[in-house]
Amino acid sequence: MRAEFVKAVEAVLARAPDSLFITGDLGFNAFESVVAKYGKRFVNAGVAEQGMMGLAAGVAFTGMCPWVYSIAPFATYRCLEQIRNDICLHRLPVRIVGNGGGYTYGIMGSTHHALEDLAVMKVLPNMELFFPCANDHVAAAVALMAELDGPSYLRLAVSAYDTVRLALDEHPSTLTRSYAVRADRSAPGVTVIGAGHGVQVALRALAAHGLDAENADVFGIARFPFRLAEDKALLASVLETKNVIFVEEHYAPGGMGESMKLALPALSEFSLMCASYRPDQRYGSAAFHMKQCELTPEALVSLVRTQLRAP
Amino acid sequence: MSGLAAEPQALARTALAIRRKFLRMHYEARSGHLGGGLSAIDVLTYLYAAWLRPSDRLILSKGHAASALYAALHHFGKLSDAELSTYYKDGTLLPAHPAPLGVAAIPAATGSLGHGLPIAVGMAYSYKHLRESSARVACLISDGECNEGSTWEAALFAGHHRLDNVTVLIDANGIQGFGRTEDILTLEPFALKWEAFGFDVSECNGHDFSALGAALSERRSGRPRCIIARTVKGKGVRFMENTVAWHYWPMSEAQYAEAIAELDRTESELRE
Repeated sequence: MRAEFVKAVEAVLARAPDSLFITGDLGFNAFESVVAKYGKRFVNAGVAEQGMMGLAAGVAFTGMCPWVYSIAPFATYRCLEQIRNDICLHRLPVRIVGNGGGYTYGIMGSTHHALEDLAVMKVLPNMELFFPCANDHVAAAVALMAELDGPSYLRLAVSAYDTVRLALDEHPSTLTRSYAVRADRSAPGVTVIGAGHGVQVALRALAAHGLDAENADVFGIARFPFRLAEDKALLASVLETKNVIFVEEHYAPGGMGESMKLALPALSEFSLMCASYRPDQRYGSAAFHMKQCELTPEALVSLVRTQLRAP
Repeated sequence: MSGLAAEPQALARTALAIRRKFLRMHYEARSGHLGGGLSAIDVLTYLYAAWLRPSDRLILSKGHAASALYAALHHFGKLSDAELSTYYKDGTLLPAHPAPLGVAAIPAATGSLGHGLPIAVGMAYSYKHLRESSARVACLISDGECNEGSTWEAALFAGHHRLDNVTVLIDANGIQGFGRTEDILTLEPFALKWEAFGFDVSECNGHDFSALGAALSERRSGRPRCIIARTVKGKGVRFMENTVAWHYWPMSEAQYAEAIAELDRTESELRE
């Protein structure tokens, strides 16, 4: 998603003279074009995330709209108080961008995983979260963020199961996507909801593991706070199937699944497939970590089949 | 310049009026944080009376001196009587640390230390390089606040970008939350540290208006400025001076009377 983000944010910088780009010394081999083109509107704040967020707030106090970039764990945890006090409490239009959500940086080790980023950001006042489902979803998120008067967080990621699949439908403001529709609306069915790139698990399951043969609706959500009143297709699906499987590359506490369960009408089934912490954790690719968490296309299909064929 | 009298005698009378207001606020509210407010009042007085222009910004990074800021803002007509009368009461926009989006004259909420300078530096960068504005930014920080890494992150940035439109004023009263700065995490050689970060540094008596005026009017060399204002915690009320306890305590009726009596004596001395 990073390449798509660079392209999208360059478009914002080109059309909005009050925007600027601030990085915490990350972006090698990605943001060189921004450096070359935007002069003083490109700022490398150095390896100093707390200072960077305060700086971004200061710049925003003068009427500018900064995009602040780092990798997801560094853009959120180290500088959480600056984001809360300096940015969110003042409702400043600071757009925080964290690359490498979930297990994207698997083999880099625990310090580089971002499995609580949405949890800590979603509780902050005035904060809006965007977590695109796929590369072709990033530009729409960036365009919406560029219109906000207050703070926002963009979670970029690469899924171990990245699958190119066109969405059947995408809501212009919630960004919720439909990726598959049940064949038989009168038979027992399941609503699979993936949060951000978590939906890629379901897309791979559709493409290669037989989920397409099951009576499942597949949605990808990309924005928090949810706007379920606008997501009519998703809500209708849930009311009909009364059976939700929620997939996210994030820990369960504070995740989008937890919030979704509360937001949806009472259901007969709500299953959560998510990342999990293990004290004896070993390290590998994102796929390795997801297998350890049983956050895989195979596990999803197996769960769907179990539920649909239960006596 | 605000056009107000900048003579040391006049400034001293202004600061005394602000101290009276400050003590009354604290006495009526039974609120603490007196020491670090009293140490900062002379610097605040100078800034508002003689230095800040309408487009300039002041960030009070030592948010626990909010009441001193409120008293100063009220004195200079930037807070109404009605607003000030709500200080520290239920429903106020003037809590013990500056609130966000509450008062036009207070750009940023502070209270957690180490936040003000990064904000000030971001504003200064924007004014200088993005907004083509000649606005200046002053940031009043505490010496204890120089324990915070984020203060130095911002100092590095200001030095690197040669932000000569930012002035850091350090209310160096030598006492922090649980003891003396020199015993907790020594800052000396303090001036050398700021110089090493790329600042023009001057040190002065933070209660001497002539010295503050001289430090704030020195020619700029294309670098950010740091003024280490050596101050006395609790300045102006002798029994509060140089104590850790008056960082926290509120005043009793007798203590308030004694403090006011002392300000009365200082005022008579000023008249002579």
